[in-house]
Amino acid sequence: MHKHLPVNCFIPPHILKNIATKGTEGQKNLAISTLKISARMGGQRQALADFAAAAFRVDGAGKNRVIYDAKNGSSLPGTVVRKEGEPASADVAVNEAYDGSGITYDLFHDMYQRNSIDGNGMRLDSTVHYRQGYDNAFWDGEQMVYGDGDEDQPVEERLFNRFTAALDVIAHELTHGVTQFEAKLTYSLQPGALNESMSDVFGSLVKQYKLQQTAAEADWIIGQGLLTANVNGVGIRSMKAPGTAYDDPILGKDPQPAHMKDYVNTIGDNGGVHINSGIPNHAFYVTAVELGGHAWEKAGQIWYVTLKDKLGANSKFQECANMTYRVAGELFGAGSIEQQAVQKGWLEVGLNVDGSGPVPDTGGGGCLEALLRLIGAAPAKK
Amino acid sequence: MHVKQIEFERTGGFAGMRIAADLKFEDLPDEQADTIAELLDDLDFAELPEELMDDSDMPDQFTYTIKVITEEWEHTVTTGDASASEKMQQLLQVLNRLARRQKRQ
Repeated sequence: MHKHLPVNCFIPPHILKNIATKGTEGQKNLAISTLKISARMGGQRQALADFAAAAFRVDGAGKNRVIYDAKNGSSLPGTVVRKEGEPASADVAVNEAYDGSGITYDLFHDMYQRNSIDGNGMRLDSTVHYRQGYDNAFWDGEQMVYGDGDEDQPVEERLFNRFTAALDVIAHELTHGVTQFEAKLTYSLQPGALNESMSDVFGSLVKQYKLQQTAAEADWIIGQGLLTANVNGVGIRSMKAPGTAYDDPILGKDPQPAHMKDYVNTIGDNGGVHINSGIPNHAFYVTAVELGGHAWEKAGQIWYVTLKDKLGANSKFQECANMTYRVAGELFGAGSIEQQAVQKGWLEVGLNVDGSGPVPDTGGGGCLEALLRLIGAAPAKK
Repeated sequence: MHVKQIEFERTGGFAGMRIAADLKFEDLPDEQADTIAELLDDLDFAELPEELMDDSDMPDQFTYTIKVITEEWEHTVTTGDASASEKMQQLLQVLNRLARRQKRQ
């Protein structure tokens, strides 16, 4: 005989939503886990995220972090181990997740006047020690999740450290949340690579903000400190020189292109979202270095406004180029040095910002897109 | 069920690195072969839907493809992290370790 929680079977969704937004902490969690199951079954991830945001929001509230421990299991979120304002834990991963989400909140708040992931004070939930030998971190639509690397391997064979060890990884994951509430870039092909690039851009900016580095001083490496000494590499990606972060007998070579002519057509990795992000990443790098000073001030502002107000679910690289150019004009004036820097950034990766020049075939359409759509890995055409 | 071969691929994840392996069952140590066979049996692998992913839009999750070839049947399943059951996670962990080991040899 199967056992069901009554709440799963009999409570209609609108009542669950009420519980999720107005109930006690325990009631909220139960209602949300129930909504989560039904939303996943119905493919309504955005609706789910909106519920979670509503449930964990205190309007007008400031930074509100909660860190959970999955204790090497896969059940999320796990056990609460540190809440906002509580003293440091003895567990370094807990403190890294707490401090990292905190400074990411600070950059978005202090520089771009954004109050948390949803812009309205959403609680910042992070889970550490997810599964065993899990060499990854992700955003699940509601929270950040971090593995411990490949701690299950013998020391001499380990390739990855814990994923909270790199601040830009934490900021990268949190920015996926911001994107989910703003441009809602589909996680496939060029929109997916733009989604990835936005996370790398603000990931790197948070690290630079913490270190108070100028664009010239920054290393522009994503995931520095993530690879162990057993790997020949400086990090996972390089925004300065995509394709050069690592070259290793076990991990292979960094596959990122830095120019549209080298755009990678692939079915894996949701159509190469972590590969082709090298192109917009490099455009941002060139823009920021061209402008000089602190990259989060001007280049970051242009990219943030573009993400918030100009891009949509199916935006591609050309649209991002055009929109960052337009935003630079709106913020700093037509023909300003800021707008010229944006133009130069995109030109270096093979894109003319006004869209009048030749645009190489990027594989973002045609047969590959049709195939991916057929297998459900690409968005349906509107 | 007599497993002959397993083709395994993992793509995506924060690092976007691809790991793949072509595992000949007769070459595996008995203990590992038994563990995998047991997990495939518990999962009723041949009857699983080809597409288990309901989370392909979750940023930075891994995508796994497992093709099992036995003397009786062949079957390929694609799954993500969040959609993987406990047993499937165990199988993925074993295959991932073997893929890395194979790359070292």
